[in-house]
Amino acid sequence: MKHTTPYFLIACFALFFSACGADYLDVNENPNVATRPPLDGLLASASYSTALNQYRISDGHTAYYVQYFASPNEASTTDIYQEISNGGAWSELYDAMTDLYDLIRFGQEDGLDRHVAIAKVLMAMNLGLVVDNWGDAPYSDAFTGETLRPTYDSAEDLYATIFRLLDEAIAELATAEDAPAVRDGSDFVYNGDLDRWTRAAYSLRARYLNHLSETSAYDPAAVLAAVDAGLAGPEEDAAVTSFSTRNPWAQVADNNANLLLGGWLSEQFVDALNGTTYGVADPRLPLLTNRNDAGEFVGTPNGAGRQGDGTKALESYLVTTGALSMENSPLTIITYAELQLIEAEAALATNDQSRANAAFVAGITANMAQIGVDSSAITDYLAAAYGSADVSRDDVFREKYAALFLSPETWVDARRYDYAYKDFTLAENAALNTFPVRIQYPTTETDRNADNVPLVTLTDPIFWDQ
Amino acid sequence: MKSAHLNRLYGAFLLLFVTSVAWTQKGITGTVTGNQGEPLIGVSILIQGTGSGTVTDVDGTYALTAREKDVLLFSYTGYGSVTRDVGAESVIDVTMQAGAQLNEVVVTALGITRERKALGYAVEELNSEELTRTKQSNLVNALQGQVAGVQVSSAGGGPGQASRIIIRGINSLDPSANNEPLFVIDGIPVTNETLTVGGGGSRNVSNRIADVNPADIATMTVLKGGPATALYGLRAANGAIVITTKTGQAGGLSVDLSTTYGIEEVNKYPETQSIYTQGYNGAYDPNSFWPTWGSTIAEARAQDPNHPAALYNNFENGYVQGHQWRHSLSVSGGNEKATFRTSLSRLTQEGVLPFSTYDNTSFRINANYAASEKFSFGGGINYIRSGGNRVNADRFNERLVYWAPQYDVQDYIREDGSMIGYRNGGTVGNNPVYGEATNKFIDDVDRYIGSLNFSYSPIQQLRINYTIGLDQYSDFRQNYGQGSVYTGAPNFEDNLSNGNGFVVETRLRRRDVTSNINAVFTTDLSPDLNVRLLAGFDAFDSSYDRVTTTGNDLDIYNLFSLNNAADILTSSALVDRRLLGLYGDLSLSFRDALYLTVTGRNDWSSTLPQANRSFFYPSVSLSLLLGEVLELPDYVSFVKLRASYAGIGKDTDPYRTNVVYGNSAGFPITGVTGWTRGDQQGAPDLKPERTNTIEFGTDLRFLENRVALDFTYYNAKSVDQIIPVPVSNASGFSTFVLNAGSMRNQGVEVSLRASPVANESFTWDVNLNYTRNRNEVLKIFEGVEDILIGTSFGYAGSSASIRLIEGQPYGNIYGRSYARYNPNGDNADNLFIDYSQPLLIGADGFPIIETTQKILGNTQPDWFGAITNTFSYKGIGLSFQFDTRQGVQKYNQQSNFFAAFGISPFTVNRDQTIVFDGVTADGTPNTTPVYLGQGEGPDGENYGAGYYRNIYRGSTENFVEEADWIRLRNVNLSYQLPATLLQNVFIRTAGLTLTGNNLWLDTPFSGFDPEGNRGNGNGDDGFGGFTYPSVRSFLLTLNVGF
Repeated sequence: MKHTTPYFLIACFALFFSACGADYLDVNENPNVATRPPLDGLLASASYSTALNQYRISDGHTAYYVQYFASPNEASTTDIYQEISNGGAWSELYDAMTDLYDLIRFGQEDGLDRHVAIAKVLMAMNLGLVVDNWGDAPYSDAFTGETLRPTYDSAEDLYATIFRLLDEAIAELATAEDAPAVRDGSDFVYNGDLDRWTRAAYSLRARYLNHLSETSAYDPAAVLAAVDAGLAGPEEDAAVTSFSTRNPWAQVADNNANLLLGGWLSEQFVDALNGTTYGVADPRLPLLTNRNDAGEFVGTPNGAGRQGDGTKALESYLVTTGALSMENSPLTIITYAELQLIEAEAALATNDQSRANAAFVAGITANMAQIGVDSSAITDYLAAAYGSADVSRDDVFREKYAALFLSPETWVDARRYDYAYKDFTLAENAALNTFPVRIQYPTTETDRNADNVPLVTLTDPIFWDQ
Repeated sequence: MKSAHLNRLYGAFLLLFVTSVAWTQKGITGTVTGNQGEPLIGVSILIQGTGSGTVTDVDGTYALTAREKDVLLFSYTGYGSVTRDVGAESVIDVTMQAGAQLNEVVVTALGITRERKALGYAVEELNSEELTRTKQSNLVNALQGQVAGVQVSSAGGGPGQASRIIIRGINSLDPSANNEPLFVIDGIPVTNETLTVGGGGSRNVSNRIADVNPADIATMTVLKGGPATALYGLRAANGAIVITTKTGQAGGLSVDLSTTYGIEEVNKYPETQSIYTQGYNGAYDPNSFWPTWGSTIAEARAQDPNHPAALYNNFENGYVQGHQWRHSLSVSGGNEKATFRTSLSRLTQEGVLPFSTYDNTSFRINANYAASEKFSFGGGINYIRSGGNRVNADRFNERLVYWAPQYDVQDYIREDGSMIGYRNGGTVGNNPVYGEATNKFIDDVDRYIGSLNFSYSPIQQLRINYTIGLDQYSDFRQNYGQGSVYTGAPNFEDNLSNGNGFVVETRLRRRDVTSNINAVFTTDLSPDLNVRLLAGFDAFDSSYDRVTTTGNDLDIYNLFSLNNAADILTSSALVDRRLLGLYGDLSLSFRDALYLTVTGRNDWSSTLPQANRSFFYPSVSLSLLLGEVLELPDYVSFVKLRASYAGIGKDTDPYRTNVVYGNSAGFPITGVTGWTRGDQQGAPDLKPERTNTIEFGTDLRFLENRVALDFTYYNAKSVDQIIPVPVSNASGFSTFVLNAGSMRNQGVEVSLRASPVANESFTWDVNLNYTRNRNEVLKIFEGVEDILIGTSFGYAGSSASIRLIEGQPYGNIYGRSYARYNPNGDNADNLFIDYSQPLLIGADGFPIIETTQKILGNTQPDWFGAITNTFSYKGIGLSFQFDTRQGVQKYNQQSNFFAAFGISPFTVNRDQTIVFDGVTADGTPNTTPVYLGQGEGPDGENYGAGYYRNIYRGSTENFVEEADWIRLRNVNLSYQLPATLLQNVFIRTAGLTLTGNNLWLDTPFSGFDPEGNRGNGNGDDGFGGFTYPSVRSFLLTLNVGF
């Protein structure tokens, strides 16, 4: 009977390996992910992220540079123009553009023309943020996964790319009717409305053509032509209104209420709207922020830090009741109001004063109405601030500064306008003696792509800023 | 028919047991004495070829059950080992020779015991006593300083905190690679992973070997890689730690009880200035964000009568005394056929950082049954529950920097439960103690390690072994932050980052199953030539699953339930990995003088592409005993020369062979899922890595074996390394997986053991080891200039990074530095600072920051070593161990923050005007006086944020510090009651031990003990500062045996 023992052992052994056939080792397919993504899912992610990227750029640096915000801490890095790179926004922008690259690529393979055309507009939106904040950047060599160190395209070439993307999108949107529909809810901006995407593409074209105002390539007539085909009303604003948790500005306001300080309005912005700078109180201010305990609107000077001891609300902040910082406030990418003010600027450049006047009023009116100012207050404000005078370029920049509150686009305006807003001064404790005109490349580029990344400082202008 | 089969099967089982009883078993007793006649306590006695055995008691006596023709193996540290054949007698007394280690038997790969002299590679073994001497609850820490070639570094002194063990240097260029050895317990590979998932990053989480009760371990063998581990295959490419647990002994029942109480405190604090207080620009302001850029205390008190007369040193004050209790009980015994041992242990510990806790409860049962002369089986199971609140030392220490020292940080909470801050009457400013009180990470591990083994020997020359084992654990992790007590109540900022409070629950499971069968055939081909042939097959299946659910925005601020959260997000992960291995080993011994072993192994790994998943690698080792071939001088007792070669293959992590798309963070939103391209570019053509090791060494014994000197040289070259190379985000990925480089480690290990005095009443043993490893990155994928291993933040661009480049060793620390005068511009591309040149001073009179990254230091020590002295006089034992690590640098993030916030002692010169030593651009000495403080200087110039914020903090060079140390690692004083006193009581043994750890430290490092690292990952050893501080501990242990 001793001989049973080995059989017993062998039986144990065989039992254990009975499950192990030839495919025992074929378990390297990652069960958590897909090898080919649902394209509606790529669109959902990229369209949502495109709006979030506006916030990431703004909250990261532009809101401080244009002095919408000021840090409650004295001499904070961003306030005083120390070197910053906003690497978080950079990687989010490239993540979104990578997904759009795949959406275009796979969409073309699958004949999803609607998706492809929308992706091109979204790509232009993100690429625009990259160029206007960092300048030269990888694009033509980017996203492929074939090169570890993508080369940089010049900022001028990237502008050409933006226009090409928009032109292609406009052409493709016109013929995409027969292509498969976008899944309901997957396009966070226009939910698949091709007409609105077309008008948004024209509006972006107007914006980026208008960015060239300081260059020899500036063609205000072309801007006006694009405006004509642009957004038809404030209901067509390119914006996201559904959020993972809440509008990110609402989160900033929420955090600030819980003493995780942020979203403190700059003295610059508050004074521009409370009558200090221009002598006219802007009816939007009470709808955007709070009065302090003394019942006044008070901003914080950039670089100076907070004034009081924090036991009382001495300043104005982003608040959860503010029109742009409520739970479901729209997070905008480009608006009808912006387009009107672009039109006013371009019309002035073509000496079409009456068109400028009309667009100027339309822009202010649209923005104020969206924020919740009633129509009589709008009329009163226009009368008090401007009367019947012709609009000037200064007026356009002044109103655009107010109408584009929190938008990263304002920093482009500030640079085109050479920060010539009334009473606009360098931050206290400023580390530079001029205003910053770009930010640094993130360390992921300087570390990992050192051969290609340009060496720049915060005072090297982007090509359109002359 | 069926029942007939069943009956036959039952019959077979029954007979198996019945027949086995028929073989003759008998009890054997005896006494083991040293060569002076003294009884030897704790000598291990093993019945060769089985797992069973026993140890001698305080009188040196033992009792066990064995059969005729069994071979008993007696081994004792410092005395080598002796074998005795079991014959007709029932008493076997043994005398062992102090210093004799010639016939010592050690455990090698796959648990095979072999005579040390036959091995062609270095092996070191630690016994139970050596492992428990320091009373470390983490087994890995028990190895500190004990073995040449083994570097143990802890992430800090937190209760249960992870430690990292590296043998013979780091072998992988991959920043995420596991460079730690394989741990094997009773033949079962077990996981030693350190998982930070679910919010455990920068928390003092455990490495999983910390679960194991050190008191359960009989021996621990360190196999240092290459030839020693070739049989284990790819998972032991970084070496292996082979653990054998204690087993029961035949004879009477024995019960051992042990209780330890310990206290601990921070062993070294950073130095801080105590002159300047809260404010900015030299002006006092109790509401300022800035803790110490204000006025002097005297000026502040003139303005504010509430300002204390002296600042609190919150870097000391923030820490408390830690405590621990460990109770353990073991019961063992058995009869002729069956032995068992059970143990129970419970540890509770509170650390020095407030609210850090760790508990560990462990049960273990080992049982063995010798069914017959030919067949035996046994098994063991270990259940462990471990976990505690793992504090965030990084945040705690960072927040201590911001905290204004005019306030006591321990005064952290109001009666209503809200936080007391440091600004604006306590309404603003994060209190780190409140942070730890309200922001927690609690893990709760249930772990089962079980093994079964069967051994069958159909003929005398052949033995077949089968082992099957399971290592499975589940971990429930809860990370939560308390919401504000009322809306707008002061609260710690981390609690509010995603709404008002949060709770994250993570449930994970790891299951590793191992099955291993092998057969050993031994025969004498001729009287001179013995042959041993081994062949086997093993299979390994590892699976992991995890669900993490995050709930943000709590309704009730302190109800940490997902049901109480407004926003819920969930993610999950499944991972599988499988390995198969076929191996063989042929060993020849010729005239007991020359030993040759050749092994081969083929592995199949699921993680590599199908075409490349099978790979073979060989090893050869040779040992020559000179004493057997030629006459040695009298004072030389023994000379062994050894040489070996091995080429080990290595696979990679699962799921690295293709590009994938996953779900976007934050989704689903309004019922819509989002998809995004994964960050890692996979490679469909990955090949296995290879590590080729050659090793030479000698084992020398002198003066009748009283002195033993072992020397080893090794050279290990790893090629075709698989690395996720970090790349520009613009590439569409953040990493590319590539076979991307090669690296070499070479080094020497010396160990010296001596017994200067050994007589009946007094012995003195000295144990010294020395390790020196040199690493070089030989090649990196073309077009990849460097591989980033890790970075640590520093203000104003002074972040330090560890990166690898060709021709340089692993672990170089890069960063910014002060520019040096460089008239010809010829050093611009130099990676090193030219310290011979004077500092370059700008036109403004301040040093200029060199923004090109330079090499400022290296994280890998030039050498390390330890010396342990052990004295014993009658029942009293004393041992002490000194450790050192030399030639190692570390980035001190705390020092960077201290400079930025005016806390460093040297910032007190902020009221002075000086002229910096150095030259201006034209080479002439600098003569421009500058004010070091903030704002307007005495010269009327505006100095802005001041020298320390504008310049000093921006030069990484200032914060990469020498992190060498010498320490008194351990002192251990024990007293064992004489046996004569206990003759008439039921107590068998009784003893008391006093242990002190980390009693003295000498280091140039300015922060906490430099042994603490940022974490347990690669590169973390280069970053310190905001670590959980190391501790000095005192422990008292009472042992009683019945």
